[in-house]
Amino acid sequence: MSSVSAAMPRSAAATARDATVRRFALSDAVFRAATRIAALLVLLILGGVAISLVAGAWPALSKFGAAFLVSQSWNPVTENFGALAPIYGTIVTAAISILIAVPIGIGIAIFLTELCPRPLRRPIGIAVELLAGIPSIIYGIWGLFIFAPFLQTTVQPFLINLFHGVPGLSGLFAGPPYGIGLLTSALILAIMVLPFITSITKDVFDTVPSVLKESAYGIGCTTWEVTRRVVIPYTRVGIMGGVMLGLGRALGETMAVTFVIGNAHRISASLFAPATTISATIANEFTEADGEIYTSSLIALGFLLFVITFLILALARTMLLRIEKRTGA
Amino acid sequence: MSQMLPIGKSAVMTASVPAKPKVEVKNLEFFYGQSRALKNISLALPARSVTAFIGPSGCGKSTLLRVFNRIYELYPNQRAQGEVLVDGRNILDRGQDLNLLRAQVGMVFQKPTPFPMTIYENIAFGIRLYEKLSKSEMDGRVEQALQRAALWSEVKDKLNASGLSLSGGQQQRLCIARTVAVKPEIILFDEPASALDPLSTAKIEELIDELRSEYTIAIVTHNMQQAARVSSQTAFMYLGELIEFDLTETIFTAPREKRTQDYITGRFG
Repeated sequence: MSSVSAAMPRSAAATARDATVRRFALSDAVFRAATRIAALLVLLILGGVAISLVAGAWPALSKFGAAFLVSQSWNPVTENFGALAPIYGTIVTAAISILIAVPIGIGIAIFLTELCPRPLRRPIGIAVELLAGIPSIIYGIWGLFIFAPFLQTTVQPFLINLFHGVPGLSGLFAGPPYGIGLLTSALILAIMVLPFITSITKDVFDTVPSVLKESAYGIGCTTWEVTRRVVIPYTRVGIMGGVMLGLGRALGETMAVTFVIGNAHRISASLFAPATTISATIANEFTEADGEIYTSSLIALGFLLFVITFLILALARTMLLRIEKRTGA
Repeated sequence: MSQMLPIGKSAVMTASVPAKPKVEVKNLEFFYGQSRALKNISLALPARSVTAFIGPSGCGKSTLLRVFNRIYELYPNQRAQGEVLVDGRNILDRGQDLNLLRAQVGMVFQKPTPFPMTIYENIAFGIRLYEKLSKSEMDGRVEQALQRAALWSEVKDKLNASGLSLSGGQQQRLCIARTVAVKPEIILFDEPASALDPLSTAKIEELIDELRSEYTIAIVTHNMQQAARVSSQTAFMYLGELIEFDLTETIFTAPREKRTQDYITGRFG
């Protein structure tokens, strides 16, 4: 049988099919190579950025050594620079903003997915997303001219009076109410990251199978219990993704923070005190940085921001892994 | 006893069994928006017995089941009219507490739906909603529920593993255990075995057979043999109407309606 078919001339259809198969093999290989190159490109860019940052920061890092990380001094005249104040400002503003934005964002997402009357869902959802579309410069001027004076005349005096004499807290809410400072920046950052957290959380909440929610309601859970024990655990990874995206934005946000943080290179216990962040420092001082060490110190700050972001992302990943291991998911 | 079965033209369709009805449905209508999914359904489910609901897809049997614990209320545009009496009390009343109702009327779904937590917590979670128990009491209740669902021997060494790590059949038995653990009076099964292999299906059926002595059970199934095996009475529904309701034996051997006979013999559906 086989010898017969082998002896026969190959049909035109079989030849055409072979050609198609060869063409597919070729296009498949091209496609595979193209996607691989795209992926490698990301690593290349990342590596390139890291290398050029280290190279640019090298003069400062080699001059100050580890002291760069722990020194608060920032003196362009004597060319003595330390990164502690901007690091502190960056982490504290980002942390406070996340502390404020996460519960509110998750709350909005719960309301939108579980409780909101249908006609209101879209308008509120769109409004939240519009918040993300406001350019940061607008947040900056709004923060400086409207929000900060409001805080200065209303909120800050109230908080100072409220916590006066309370051990621990009186230090956090102390000093003259400038209006601008750490807390103001953190509040504005919270507003800025809120839409990211909300819309991602809302999207992942929508992925929870309705039958899973039904079975939780089916044993007598309230909406709160369903959300707390079923919806949030089910969507943990996605929520974390949203929080990380927000945190990334909060750490790196430059313009709005530069307007309202006060640009003071010092660490104060009070949240009302002017401070600075890494990105605000760089934005403020790059044009006037003369001298190699000054410029290099600013680049070193940029490198530190890179490292901080990386560390926090890595920390979040391991935390997530640990939670998953504990709950056995 | 004003809840005696009425006789005459508005008679509630009832299987001729002596047991006192646990659930009585009277003139029930159900709407998805404008479309009417249940048309004037009246029937009574006897206590401590299994009632099967059969009929082609879209006939309203799952809808009917979803009325019994009012789970349909989660969705706007779905509403029920008429009366559903559980122990003589209309659960469609506005004043009915939904969480309480759902604790009393457990439901097992077509697909296994373990919660994203450990096997132990999957059971303990529901119990904790309504009861404060000590650790040892809780351990006892969890074990009891898992025993009841014939799952204990398979999971007793890995109670802290995720519920999601079990096989499909085990997950479904976990869901049954979870439902039983809350001590409901009525259990609704919505095609509980349609996603399972024959062996797991047999286990689930055995389980239903054991539960019948304690609970009032309603089961929706597409599997005729399953209905015949597990139920005492069977309701045949078609296009939102209750066509025939009688003892399972009667339905499968001598149905009164031609449509019923055609359906169970596979001539339409």
